Amino acid sequence: MFTNRKTSFVMSSPYLAWALIFIIVPIGMVFYYGLTDTTGAFTFENIASIAQPEHSKALWLAIELALISTLICFLLAYPLALILARNKMSSDGILTTLIILPMWMNFLLRTLSWVTLLENRGVLNSILGALHLPQLYIINTPAAIVVGMVYDFLPFMILPLYNSLAKIDDAVINAAQDLGANKLQTLWHVILPLSLPGILSGVTMVFIPSLTTFAISTMMGGSKILLIGNVIEQEFTLTYNWHLGSGLSLVLMVFIVINMVVSMISDQGED
Amino acid sequence: MKNMKPLEKIYFWVILAFMYLPIVTLIVLSFNKSKSRAHWGGFTFNWYIRLFSDSAILNALANTLIIALIATIAATIIGTVTCVALGGLNRRTRAFIMGITNIPMINADIVTGISLMLLFRILHFQSGFITVLIAHITFNIPYVMLSVMPRMKTISPSVYEAALDLGAKPWYAFRKTILPDLAPAIFSGALMAFTMSLDDFIITYFTKGSGFDTLSTKIYNEIKRGIQPEIYALSAIMFTLVLVLIFASNRMRTVQRKDSDLTEKQIKFRNIRNVVVVSAAGLGIIYLALLFGGVFTKNSNQVYVYNYGEYIDPEVIKMFQEETGIEVVYDEYETNEIMFAKIASDPSSYDVVCPSDYMVSRMINLDMVEPLDYEQLPNTLEHIGKQYFETMEAFDPGNQYAVPYFWGTVGILYNTNMVDDPVTSWDILWNPKYKGEILMQDSVRDAFMIPMIRNGFSINTVDPAEIEIATQDLIDQSPLVQAYVVDQVRDKMIGNEAALGVIYSGEALYCQWENPDLEYVVPDEGSLVWFDSWVITKNARNKENALKWIDFLSRPEIALMNFEFITYSVPNETAREMIEDEELRNSEIAFPGEEILNRCYSEEYLGEEGEKLYAEAWKKVKSAN
Amino acid sequence: MKKELIQLQHISKSFDGNMVLDDLNLTIHENSFVTLLGPSGCGKTTTLRIIGGFERPDEGKVIFDGQDITSLAPNKRQLNTVFQKYALFTHMDVAENIAFGLKIKNKPSNYIKDKIKYALKLVNLEGFEHRMPDSLSGGQQQRVAIARAIVNEPKVLLLDEPLGALDLKLRQDMQYELIRLKNELGITFIYVTHDQEEALTMSDHIVVMNQGYIQQEGSPEQIYNEPENAFVADFIGDSNILHATMVRDELVNILGTDFVCVDKGFGENNPVDVVIRPEDIELVPRGKGTLPGVVTNVIFKGVHYEMDVEAGGYEWLVHSTRLNEVGSEIDISVDPFNIQVMNKPESEDEKALSVEDA
Repeated sequence: MFTNRKTSFVMSSPYLAWALIFIIVPIGMVFYYGLTDTTGAFTFENIASIAQPEHSKALWLAIELALISTLICFLLAYPLALILARNKMSSDGILTTLIILPMWMNFLLRTLSWVTLLENRGVLNSILGALHLPQLYIINTPAAIVVGMVYDFLPFMILPLYNSLAKIDDAVINAAQDLGANKLQTLWHVILPLSLPGILSGVTMVFIPSLTTFAISTMMGGSKILLIGNVIEQEFTLTYNWHLGSGLSLVLMVFIVINMVVSMISDQGED
Repeated sequence: MKNMKPLEKIYFWVILAFMYLPIVTLIVLSFNKSKSRAHWGGFTFNWYIRLFSDSAILNALANTLIIALIATIAATIIGTVTCVALGGLNRRTRAFIMGITNIPMINADIVTGISLMLLFRILHFQSGFITVLIAHITFNIPYVMLSVMPRMKTISPSVYEAALDLGAKPWYAFRKTILPDLAPAIFSGALMAFTMSLDDFIITYFTKGSGFDTLSTKIYNEIKRGIQPEIYALSAIMFTLVLVLIFASNRMRTVQRKDSDLTEKQIKFRNIRNVVVVSAAGLGIIYLALLFGGVFTKNSNQVYVYNYGEYIDPEVIKMFQEETGIEVVYDEYETNEIMFAKIASDPSSYDVVCPSDYMVSRMINLDMVEPLDYEQLPNTLEHIGKQYFETMEAFDPGNQYAVPYFWGTVGILYNTNMVDDPVTSWDILWNPKYKGEILMQDSVRDAFMIPMIRNGFSINTVDPAEIEIATQDLIDQSPLVQAYVVDQVRDKMIGNEAALGVIYSGEALYCQWENPDLEYVVPDEGSLVWFDSWVITKNARNKENALKWIDFLSRPEIALMNFEFITYSVPNETAREMIEDEELRNSEIAFPGEEILNRCYSEEYLGEEGEKLYAEAWKKVKSAN
Repeated sequence: MKKELIQLQHISKSFDGNMVLDDLNLTIHENSFVTLLGPSGCGKTTTLRIIGGFERPDEGKVIFDGQDITSLAPNKRQLNTVFQKYALFTHMDVAENIAFGLKIKNKPSNYIKDKIKYALKLVNLEGFEHRMPDSLSGGQQQRVAIARAIVNEPKVLLLDEPLGALDLKLRQDMQYELIRLKNELGITFIYVTHDQEEALTMSDHIVVMNQGYIQQEGSPEQIYNEPENAFVADFIGDSNILHATMVRDELVNILGTDFVCVDKGFGENNPVDVVIRPEDIELVPRGKGTLPGVVTNVIFKGVHYEMDVEAGGYEWLVHSTRLNEVGSEIDISVDPFNIQVMNKPESEDEKALSVEDA
């Protein structure tokens, strides 16, 4: 638009070179390692090893926990985003700022706060104890990991939901009511479908990091619970098996691609 | 807010409480005199003072800021230039480039991190500042481009063409017409990039090298060692900082919106002022980084040391630096396997490391270590007990490679208030009564040692059937286990988090000092006796300095300092004689007698196949839950 | 007289302390085309939204068919709205949009199908069932919005500036369409607009509003020919509005010259406002009219000439098919029947828009 073809190429070439070296080639290397063994021979074994019980278990557990976390995040975030959007809280208002503020704190520190709360002799249990209430023993269980995921990623759900809900014209909601829909019907038939882009991006922004995390599961799960992220991490940092780690990463990428395709299809259904 | 219905208001505050109460907890605990999370031990600023005297954390903070700053600037420039250029390309090329740009956004961080790590390893890039910076620029560019591109599409070229028509040169016309329109999008993209850079952990974790940490990786390491109240103080400071920054920027925006009626001169002044403020902030960050980070002040006289966590008196490092003028780049690992993976994947990352017996043997076998020049190790020859070198023949034939550092046993540390059964056997770790109260070692060979001994097998067996039985034992045990930990065992046992923990002897003494209810036992069936020793890596870049380091640690007074700090059995005979505290000198824990040593075995290297068997079995145990 | 369908009784409404409606009373009769006309901010849309149920009045009652519906939710009211920017559901195709209200009411699918067909035919959009709203032009979207409302067979259709976003030609076409629709459906239309021409063309009954008050109601002819105050006169069409003094019944003094008129009952020597429509002024040769003047400017407008005439210290706006060149010295003459005498505004708010400012 502002440059001719030749200048355009010259100007975009640094990025193209960068992208080639630091995006394309590295992904290619994951493929290379994932599809070879230590001798460099081609093999599907690394990818097939996802079928081994300890790997498939870690994968299914990761999927399960990521789905639960995503669902909880959605259920918590949607009403909040709706309240913020319908009450016309502008995105630079103090209240919205309050919602995104924790996002700015290091996520390991955020996770640490829940470790501190949930420990067997941690803050929560000492409060419960003082109130003569039953103790809560959920640290180092999948439930604790879910708590960590929900807490860490909730703002990533709220923001896109808020953005898409705030875009819905009041008149459209009035129109639905005008045509006889009660609040629930309006929510279900109009608001929910219209906020679908926000839902999709919120779900992606929570599901993918939850699915692939290893830090949250290590901290909240006491290294007792292996998610697929932990398995991959350990192949690189503990067992020193790049081939297996890459192979499992490729499996993970399949899920990322599925997620991408699903959101692209639903997005297309929009228009 | 005032329009909200009561129910909406309640919901809003509940969510806000959910988001903030945990952070408030951290802030409250940062003032707690007691290390415990369960009770209030009085008010203190101590953790803040300790935080600010911890140069490693300040260093990491400086690194984080400077990486974020440089990565943001670079990504903003590259991203913006590319977006402008894309306008001149045809649709297909544009779609293709945007497709590539989307990859780091959509891809999981772990895959991005791994892919870059593979690249850097293959290219033999020395990991550290530069690799982390490249990684951050790579994942930041998409945030800038995805923010600028949509804005670019809405800008009509007619203003630009009008400027050309009026005689402006292209760059001038661009700067005066298009850039102001793009500026908000560029700014928000840059802000996004900066945030992402600050918050990133996973990609940094895989691309960082030796002796380089950002705040994220530093915090991760610290947390793995057990919760340090300094980290609470750090959280409190970070939170306050973010709070102040956000509200300040919010205020600035509201103020800016109001001054639409400023004269051009005033606006110009404000623009200049903004530039000054931003550059001052940038310079400040760079100054801080130079002060703490030493990012650019690479001292060529260095030694890269890789040691177990909490395995040295920090004072010793300082003394070595002062005496020799050699800068010590010091990192810690949790287990032999982690160290091995690191050295194997990045052979020149560290000069001198401290593996245990079987790992020394493994590294010798894989030609990863350098023979020692004993001429340069006079203290070692003079003060280390000869019998230790004899013992070491088992894994270092001819004593060519390793100098003993500390040795010890593995046993059970238990809380006498929480355990009423006699603790004499490993069996108690399988007692359902203590479900959720047991801490196991998160270290393959040491964990397998226990069921092997319990079943009467050799701890060095490679018999698949025996490994299978041991694996099953550990799987059976796993529901009872609270957590698999390494360095955290100290913190958790002291904090009464668990009743029983598998622990290394030296840590047991430390824990007892902190919590007198704790008792250490080497079970009757027998246990592990281990030997940690210093070796120099094959590809070490500072071999001379590494020798100096090893010999420095062999000095009696230094060995004594370390002993008093970490209380493992010290093979330095002279140092042992110098121990003043009689109780400590004769401690059965620090210096197990014949009776105990007779039932203890050492771990041997089992060959790559053998190690792999154990690694796979361990994965089965860990995924049993 | 037709049946009274909707009554607004003593309605007041304010937003953040700004009074938008002040003690408004309005009756709407069955099967009429009522237009709420006024400048933006006059309270017309708020009135409509109160009838639709989207706003609750601070005070007063809304009576619908004899029942108090003041606090009834919009979805329970027997009326439907066509929104300003159509407010179509962009995630549904045309048919789904139209079926929305019927599906909510759980109508059988055959019935819904027939209704969609019927409604699309009515708004001339046959064959558009499966188009998405985004792919339609503004006019087409408007028709869908109307179809979506009327399939629910409301007793009243509320239209909130439905033609505001359309271009001139389309707007004129749609005006006729709406009249036709209303006649075919035989229901009440309440129409909000700021466009006086639209109001005059379509309505049976016009309610002129300003600053939260009803200024005048009546048939289009009444509103145009007999504006009750300067605001109405000025808002409806071009006009010459002047200060005057009522000398006595049927004689008014404008700019120092007495004019014969037909109005009575304004007392003697009382200040009044006078409206004279530009097309009602005749320019006659000097000496043959009432007030001497000079033509100062002429613009050809197609159907007529628009001329400015300086007379008696006032710049008169005159429309005429006969051209008088600039500089012509003529007299102004007005048929007594075409002089509309009005009371000076009484309330503070009305004063705000009295002759000088208007």
